[in-house]
Amino acid sequence: MKLPLALLLAPLLTLVAGLHTSNWAVLVGTSRFWFNYRHLANVLSMYRTVKRLGIPDSQIILMLPDDMACNPRNAFPGTVYSNSDRAVDLYGDNIEVDYRGYEVTVENFIRLLTDRVGEEMPRSKRLLTDDRSNIFVYMTGHGGNEFLKFQDAEEIGAPDLADAFEQMWEKKRYHEILFMIDTCQANTMYSKLYSPNIIATGSSELDQSSYSHHADNDVGVAVIDRYTYYNLEFLESEVRDTSSKKTIGDLFDSYSYEKIHSHAGVRYDLFKGGADAARSRLLTDFFGNVQNVEIDGTRNTTMIDDELISLSKTIARLSELAREEELAAAKNNSDAKPVPRKVQVTKPLSDDNWFTKKLVGATALAGCVALWGLGSYLEI
Amino acid sequence: MTKDKMSFQATAGTAGLFVVAAALRLLLFTAFPGLPNLLTGRVEISTPVTSFKRLQEGLFLYNHNVNPYDGGVYHQAPLLLPLFSLLPDPSTYPIFTYILYTLVDLLSANALYKIAESGEGGASRLYSSPRKEKRWNGYVVAALFLFNPFTIATCIGRPTSVFTTCAILHAVAKALSGNIFTSMLSLSFATYLSMYPLLLLPPMVILAYDRTYNPKVPKSLAQLAGMCTLAVSASLALLFLSSYALTGSWEFLSSTYGIQLTLTDLTPNAGLWWYFFTEMFDSFRSFFLGVFWLHLSSYTPALTIRLRQQPLAVITLLLGIFAIFKPYPSIADTSLFLSLVPCFRHVFPLLRYSFVTASVVLYGTFLGPAFYHLWIYAGSGNANFFYAITLVWSLGLSLIVSDLAFAVLRDEWEVERPEMRGKEIRQI
Amino acid sequence: MSADIKNDGDPKPSSAEATVSLPATGIAIVERKEPPPEKESDTRRRSWIVLSFWLIAVFIGLPIWWNTTTIYRANLPLTQMTDWADGKACEPVFPLRIALDVGSLPEQEAQNLLRLTQHALDDLNDFSGHHLRLQLAQAPTEATTQVRDDSNVALTIRLAPGDAAHTASSSLHPHLPILDVQYPPNSLPTANSPSSGLATYIATQLGSTFAEEQNIISYLLETSSITPEHRPKGISQEVVDTVSKRMTRSLKYSQTYHLTFSLFTNGPVPSSWDIEAAIDEYMKPVLDMLKTIHDFTIDTQVQLYASPGVQSHVLGKEDLSSFINAAEWPLSPSIGGAPTVNFIVYIGNQTIGVPSETDAAETSQSWMIPQWGSVYLLAPPPAEAAHVSSETLKQPILTFTSHLLTLLGTPQSGSVPLRLSTLARIRSADLLLRASSSLGSLARLTLALPSISIPSNVANGVVKTIHHLELACASLGGAKSLEHARIAEHEAERAFFEKSMVGQLYFPDEHKIAVYLPLLGPIGVPLVMGLLNEIKAWKTRRSQKLKAA
Repeated sequence: MKLPLALLLAPLLTLVAGLHTSNWAVLVGTSRFWFNYRHLANVLSMYRTVKRLGIPDSQIILMLPDDMACNPRNAFPGTVYSNSDRAVDLYGDNIEVDYRGYEVTVENFIRLLTDRVGEEMPRSKRLLTDDRSNIFVYMTGHGGNEFLKFQDAEEIGAPDLADAFEQMWEKKRYHEILFMIDTCQANTMYSKLYSPNIIATGSSELDQSSYSHHADNDVGVAVIDRYTYYNLEFLESEVRDTSSKKTIGDLFDSYSYEKIHSHAGVRYDLFKGGADAARSRLLTDFFGNVQNVEIDGTRNTTMIDDELISLSKTIARLSELAREEELAAAKNNSDAKPVPRKVQVTKPLSDDNWFTKKLVGATALAGCVALWGLGSYLEI
Repeated sequence: MTKDKMSFQATAGTAGLFVVAAALRLLLFTAFPGLPNLLTGRVEISTPVTSFKRLQEGLFLYNHNVNPYDGGVYHQAPLLLPLFSLLPDPSTYPIFTYILYTLVDLLSANALYKIAESGEGGASRLYSSPRKEKRWNGYVVAALFLFNPFTIATCIGRPTSVFTTCAILHAVAKALSGNIFTSMLSLSFATYLSMYPLLLLPPMVILAYDRTYNPKVPKSLAQLAGMCTLAVSASLALLFLSSYALTGSWEFLSSTYGIQLTLTDLTPNAGLWWYFFTEMFDSFRSFFLGVFWLHLSSYTPALTIRLRQQPLAVITLLLGIFAIFKPYPSIADTSLFLSLVPCFRHVFPLLRYSFVTASVVLYGTFLGPAFYHLWIYAGSGNANFFYAITLVWSLGLSLIVSDLAFAVLRDEWEVERPEMRGKEIRQI
Repeated sequence: MSADIKNDGDPKPSSAEATVSLPATGIAIVERKEPPPEKESDTRRRSWIVLSFWLIAVFIGLPIWWNTTTIYRANLPLTQMTDWADGKACEPVFPLRIALDVGSLPEQEAQNLLRLTQHALDDLNDFSGHHLRLQLAQAPTEATTQVRDDSNVALTIRLAPGDAAHTASSSLHPHLPILDVQYPPNSLPTANSPSSGLATYIATQLGSTFAEEQNIISYLLETSSITPEHRPKGISQEVVDTVSKRMTRSLKYSQTYHLTFSLFTNGPVPSSWDIEAAIDEYMKPVLDMLKTIHDFTIDTQVQLYASPGVQSHVLGKEDLSSFINAAEWPLSPSIGGAPTVNFIVYIGNQTIGVPSETDAAETSQSWMIPQWGSVYLLAPPPAEAAHVSSETLKQPILTFTSHLLTLLGTPQSGSVPLRLSTLARIRSADLLLRASSSLGSLARLTLALPSISIPSNVANGVVKTIHHLELACASLGGAKSLEHARIAEHEAERAFFEKSMVGQLYFPDEHKIAVYLPLLGPIGVPLVMGLLNEIKAWKTRRSQKLKAA
C-alpha cells in the first residue's frame, strides 16, 4: 500500500522540486484611444521591466491595441512615458509588439493561451511553453465584475479565462503562473480560476475602482495606474538584477490601501503548498529569466574529437547504404504506383482556345434564343 | 380604324421614346468616359453578386482557361461568361457593352410597356377596381422606367442585375399575354441569374392562370401550377446542366448561390444584411442567416393568399420587399420595383405618405454616397454612418411598399363597402 | 394608424398584422355604425395566411434553429482515450532482442549458454519495462526474415575464445551495435551446470550497457500520466534526480531542429568566418548520423559591435546566465516552424572564472544553456584579422556538436551506434507517452467543457492517433515504433490544438436571451398573437354553432 503512494508522490515531488527552465510573459493591454494612454503605458512599463530582467523578446507576448506613440495627439511623437518626469521612453527603439491594433481580441488572446492557432501563425506570436515554463500574465484595461473589456467591442469573462488556464494546465503548458491584473474590480477576474499552480493578484476588490496615479500635464492624460505604479516601483528599486532574492511575498506585502487607493487582492489557494510556498517564490522566477547554465570542464570539451567525427562519418555512410538497400528492396517488392497527389500549382495563363470559347458563347446564346423562340412558336 | 391609328401613333411614340432613351444612355457613356467605371465601383449599384468588375475578372480567367471561380471574386452565373466572351474586350471596345446594356434596358422597357398596356393593374380577372379608368398608358410607364435616374445609373454601372430585371419583366409580360411556357422560361432565366426570383413563382402562376382562364373550359389551378413548376424545373435543370458542362464541376453552385445563402462576402451595400452579420456572434451566424432567409421567403405565400385577386400587385409588392430584404440589394432592384409601381396609378390617390416617402428616399439617395465617402475615403466617419443611411433608405422603401399595399387593400375594400369611399378609417 | 392593411413593408415583419387587419374587421366609421359581419371567405382566408406563416416557422424555421444552434460535438472514444492515458491500453515494455553470436561453438553448448545467460539476465533485471531477450544469431530455428532484419536486434554479442589465462573481457564495437566478448575457453558452462561465470559476466555487461536507457525509460514512465498500477516498478530517487536533470536539459522532441550559428564580436572585426566549411568538417558527419531521428536546418549570422548582457571581464557563474543580451541580439526563434537551437561564438576579451573548479577555470571557454543552446567564448584573433578561419572554429564547433548531442537527449554512455539506437527508443517512448497523455487531456477537456464544440476532424485525429499508438506499441523497441509514435504524437497534438475548438467558450444563457429576444420578439409576438386570435375565433364559431344546433 505504501509503495504506490510513494510512487504517486514521486512525480509530484520532482515537479515541485524541479526548476522551471524558461520564463514567459504575456502582457496585455485591452483598451484603445488616447484617453487610455495609461493602460498602454502600464503594459509597456511591465514590458520594459521583464525585458530588463532578461526575458527575451521571443518569450514576451505583447498585446497593444493602440499605438500611443504615433497618436496625432501625442505632444511627444514616437514616445510613451509612464511618468511625468519623462525620464524613460518606454517605446525606445527596440520594442516588439506581437499583437497590435485590431489583432488584440478575446479570441486571439484565448487562442494564444491555448495555442489553438493556425499553421500560418509565426512562432514569435505563439506561447510555446511546456510543463517547465513559468508564465507571467499581466492584463490591464477597463473591467467590471468578472469581465475585462477588450477594445470597444467585446469582453473576456472570468470563466473564459479560467477555462483557458485549465486547458493550459491539462496540456501541461505551464509550470507556474503569476497572474496580475490592473483594472476596476480586478479581483473578480481571478475569482473563477480553478487550475493549480497559479498565484493571482489584482488591483481592486468587487465594486472598487482602480485609480490612475498621476497625469502628465504636457501629455495631457494620466500616464500610469496606481497599482502598476507601485508594483513597478518595487521591482525597479528592489529587484535590480536577476540575482535579487526578493520574493513574491515581499512584493505583495508592499501593497497598501494608502498607496493604491483600493484593496489589492492576492490569491494563493491554487498554488501547491499554499500561501507559504507561493510567497517564498522569487520574483525573478516570474519577472526574470533565470537560465541554469552548465559550464564545460576541460574534460567535457574533449568528449567529441576527430575520432568521433570520422566514426560518425562511417556510421552515416553505413546507414545510408542500409537505407539505399532498403529502398531498393522496397522498390523490388512493391510495384505499387505512386499515388498521384493533387498539388495546387499556379496555372499559366493562356488564351489558347479562344475560338472554342467564342463558339461555346455563340452556342449558348443560340441555345437560349432557340429555347425562347421555340417556346414562343409553340404557344402561338 | 381609329383604334388602329391610335395604336400606330402609340408605336411611333414609343419608338421615339426608345430612341431618346438610348441616345441619352449612349451620350452619357461617351460624353463622360469616366462615368461607367465610377458607377461600376459604387456599392449602391454593384454588389458582389452583380458587379461588372467582378464579371470582367471572371471573364478574364475564363478566357485564359482558368476556373473563373478560383480566387473568390466572381460570384455570378457561369453562362454569362461565354455570352460576354462573344463581345470584344470591354476595356478596349467598351461601346459594345454600352450598346448591349442599352438594348437590355430597352427590352425591359418594352416588356413594361406591354404590362402597362394590359391594364392588369386596375382590372384583373377576379377584381376590377372602381378607379381603373384612371391609369397611365404603356408609354408613360415605359418612360418613367427609362428616365428613372436609378435605372440610368444602373445601366451605366453595368451590373448583371439588369439581365435579371429584364427577365422578370418579360416573365410578367409573357404571363399577361398568356404565354405560360415562355413566361416560366423567363422566370427560370431570372432565377438562374439571381436565385431570388424563384420566390415569384406562386404569384406568377396565378397571374398566368387568371390570364389564360377560359370560362368555357375551366382548368384547375393545381394542374397549371404543376405544369409551371415542371417547366421551371426543366429549364433550370437545363441551365444548370449546361453550366456544369461549361465549368466541369458543380462548384459554381456554391460560388454563386452559396454566396448569397451564406453571405460570405460582407462588402457593404444598400441592404440590411451586411452590417448585421459583421456584428453577429459567430455561433449564431448560421441561425440568423436562416432567420433572414425565412423572413424573406415567408412573404410569398401570405401575400399570394391575401391578394389572390390581384396577382400583379403581389408581384410588385414582393419585388419591393426583395429590394429591401435581399442579401445583396442594389438600386437596380429598387428601379425594378419602382418601374412596376406606376401600373397602379389608380390607387395613387389612396397613398397616404407620398411626401414623406419621397423625402426619405431622396434623403437616402443623396446622403448615402456622402456618408460612404466619409467612412471609406475621408476616414472621418465609421461604418455606422453608412449603415444608418441604408436604414433610412430601407425605411423609405418599406414605406412605399406598405403604403402601396394599404392603397391596394383599401381599393379592394371599397368595392365591398362602397359607402365608405373617401371616408377616414380607423382601427376598432 | 389604421390596421386596415397588411403592413408588409414594415422592417420588422409582422405576420400577425395580416390576421388582425382585414378590411372588413377592424373598421369603424365616425358615425359609430357597427360594421357588417365578416364574410365567411375572409375568415377562411385569414386562417390560411396564419397557417402559411406557422407552417414556414415550424417546418423550416425550427429545423434551421435546431441545426444551426446545437454545438457540434463529434463522438470521441473517451474510454479508449483515458485507457491510453492511464496506460491500460499498452503495456510499455521494450523487448530488446540481443543476438548471441557464438561463433564456432557447437549448437548444444550455445543453447546452454543462452539459457544460462537469459537466467542470469532475468535475475539481474528488476525493471520489467525493459526486457532483454537473448537469441542465437544464425540459429536455424529462427525464421530467416527475422535474422536478416537487423533493425530488430538491438545488440549482437560476438563471443570469441580468448586467452585462457585472463578473465573474460568485453568491448563495444565502435561502428556497429556489437559487443565483443573474449572469454577464457574453460569458462564455458557444462551441459547441466546451474550457473556459469561467463553467463553472469555477459549478463552484467549487458545490464550495465543498458542501465542508462533503463533509467531514462523508467523515469519517463514515472513522470507520465500512466497510473501507478499500470507501470513497471520504479527507480530510486537519486536516479530520478539525475535523469530528471538530464531530461530538463534536453529539448522537446521535434522532427526538425533549426540550428542558428551566430558570430558576435564586440568590435568591428572579425567580420567574416568560415562557418560553412567548419560545419561541414566538424558537425555535418554527426548530423548525417542523426538523420534517422532528426532533420536539421541551418542558418548563420554575424553581428558586429554586439555587447553582451554582462560587461565584466571575468565572468562568474551568475554572470553566465545573463550573458546573452536577449534584448539586443537578434536571436529570433521564428525562422520556420522548427524549434531553434542557438550556437553563439562570442569574440571578446572576457573569460570564465568559476572559483570552485580551479583547473577548469582557466581552460573552460564554453557553457550550455538547457533547452536553448550554447555559447563559446573565443579570444580575439591576433592582428585584428577580419576573418575567422575554419581551423579556429574547430574547437567551438566540436564543442557545439557535443552540446547538440546533449541537448537532443542522447545518452552519455556506450558506443555511438548504441547511443543512437537508445536515443531512438527513448524518443519513441517519450512520444508514445506524450501522445497518450494528450489523448487523456483531450478526453478530460471534452467532459469538463460541455459548451466547446468538437469538430469531426478532432475525432479523426483521435482515431488516427490511437491507430498509430497501437502500431507503435506493438513494435516497441523496433525500428518502426519511432515513426508510428511520431505520427501519433503529431495527430494527438493536432487534435488537441484544433483551431476551431475555441469559438464559443463561455456563453451563458442570459446572453442567449439577449441575442434572441430583440431579434425574434418582433417576429414571435405577432405569430403567437395571430395563432391565439385564430383559436379564439374558432372557439366562438364552435359555440355559436352549438347554440344554433
